[in-house]
Amino acid sequence: MSLEPPRLLASRCGACATTTFPPREFCPACRAVDGLERAELDTRGRVHSFTVVRQAPPDVEVPYVLAWVDLPVDRVRLMATVVGVEPEAVELDLPVELELTPFATDADGAELVGFRFRATGTEVAS
Amino acid sequence: MSLAPAHVAGVGMVRFGKYPLDVTLERMAAGAARAALSDAGADLTQVDGLYVGHVFGGPVAGQRVAAQLGLDGKPVSNHENYCASGATALREAWVALAAGLHDVVLVIGVEKMTDRVSGGVRPDPGDLDAAVGYVMAAGHAMSARRYMADHGATREQIAAVAVKNHAHSVHNPFAQYQVPIPLEQVLGARPIAEPLGLLDCSPISDGAAAVLLCSDAGLRRLGVTGPVPRVLGVGLVSGAVQTGLGDLNAEDVSRRAGEEAWKLSGVGPDEVDLVEMHDCFTIAEIVRTEGLGLVPRGQGAAWAADGHTALGGRLPVNPSGGLLSRGHPVGATGAAQVCELTWQLRGTAGGRQVDGARTALAYCKGGTVNGTDGGSVTTVVMTR
Repeated sequence: MSLEPPRLLASRCGACATTTFPPREFCPACRAVDGLERAELDTRGRVHSFTVVRQAPPDVEVPYVLAWVDLPVDRVRLMATVVGVEPEAVELDLPVELELTPFATDADGAELVGFRFRATGTEVAS
Repeated sequence: MSLAPAHVAGVGMVRFGKYPLDVTLERMAAGAARAALSDAGADLTQVDGLYVGHVFGGPVAGQRVAAQLGLDGKPVSNHENYCASGATALREAWVALAAGLHDVVLVIGVEKMTDRVSGGVRPDPGDLDAAVGYVMAAGHAMSARRYMADHGATREQIAAVAVKNHAHSVHNPFAQYQVPIPLEQVLGARPIAEPLGLLDCSPISDGAAAVLLCSDAGLRRLGVTGPVPRVLGVGLVSGAVQTGLGDLNAEDVSRRAGEEAWKLSGVGPDEVDLVEMHDCFTIAEIVRTEGLGLVPRGQGAAWAADGHTALGGRLPVNPSGGLLSRGHPVGATGAAQVCELTWQLRGTAGGRQVDGARTALAYCKGGTVNGTDGGSVTTVVMTR
């Protein structure tokens, strides 16, 4: 699988075509456990709702924008941080694009990657 | 299926608040338990078992409480369902009584938080939500923003929940905060997760609450003759994996918890005289009462602003002051709600009494699980 562009892997039910992220070993819509296939999600999303987090536990840097992001093509909603836009400029239905971000380092020193979304069609601020 | 109701022979609390280190979990739990025993006129030898709800108490906290209280050697179980832990302990106690296993049991909800939680509560670190930066306040903030967009509700209407609940709290001697808070103060509080500010959030608290629960035979054992408030049923559901791009505030998990409550208790939503609702955040009270079907969809914020959910209103919600005022030691909250329902149904709630209260509902929602519409939800139905 290519990481350019990066893709999130979901599961898609062979029986009812429902897509779910993260991938599961059952279909949450019809409870099928056979015929589930891996599916690459579209990278284009829009902000369904969001907040600017101003207070968090001590190990978390604030502020940051956390959003429910809808992927209309796959009909999947997921939670992620949104970057590339001033917190004050985020609005409902803001178009965003998936990107990878360093997440942590494992015991062997290997970099682990996570995901977030970047505002598109907006002046990039960070 | 219909289980026998459980009688509430006694209830007791220690005032919720922020206590120094020497006010331990065990000490608070024992204090609430002794208050409940005293309220019932019961002694330790009459108790068959102990059900303890807590989240941050560590392994066998319930047994540590038992050893401090004088119930050592008895059956003790620990129940963790995040903020619904106390109510989940109550449910298991009710089931044990109905099954005939015990006749007199003590339920304790307890939490010591202020020495171990700061900045807000969040999911388990192993949950994907935690990895993307989720804190509980953020989830409710996103709920609030979407609610305002979908229903034309205003920030002021959502803040009205805090104003209302703090107004109720001045009559509750067990509440952490017992002062009225004007709307301007809620709106002007420092932002936590926009649009929610500090006063939209329940505090991190210490505290304990206890309920002495009995079967018919248990009441006779205690020598209680008059009728006492009864737990008719305790619903429990968990969040379901969500698919598609539906209403963020559908609250189907609340609808299902309500259905469980009505089915187990035989009571219908139109018979509820008052609600103790899990207002961990202002918006949560609104969307959850709507999800239960007690308030029309999209009108909960207006109901709060218009006084319909205040004391004397159409459906009083949180006469105790709710979590926003009483405080929210997470494992203790479900038991504290049952204390409040008991006082309301006895008619002894003083300045916060709901006139003629006959039937009451308490709702807790605990935790979050990535991809679902919640962790655990409990619904306790009581009658006098």
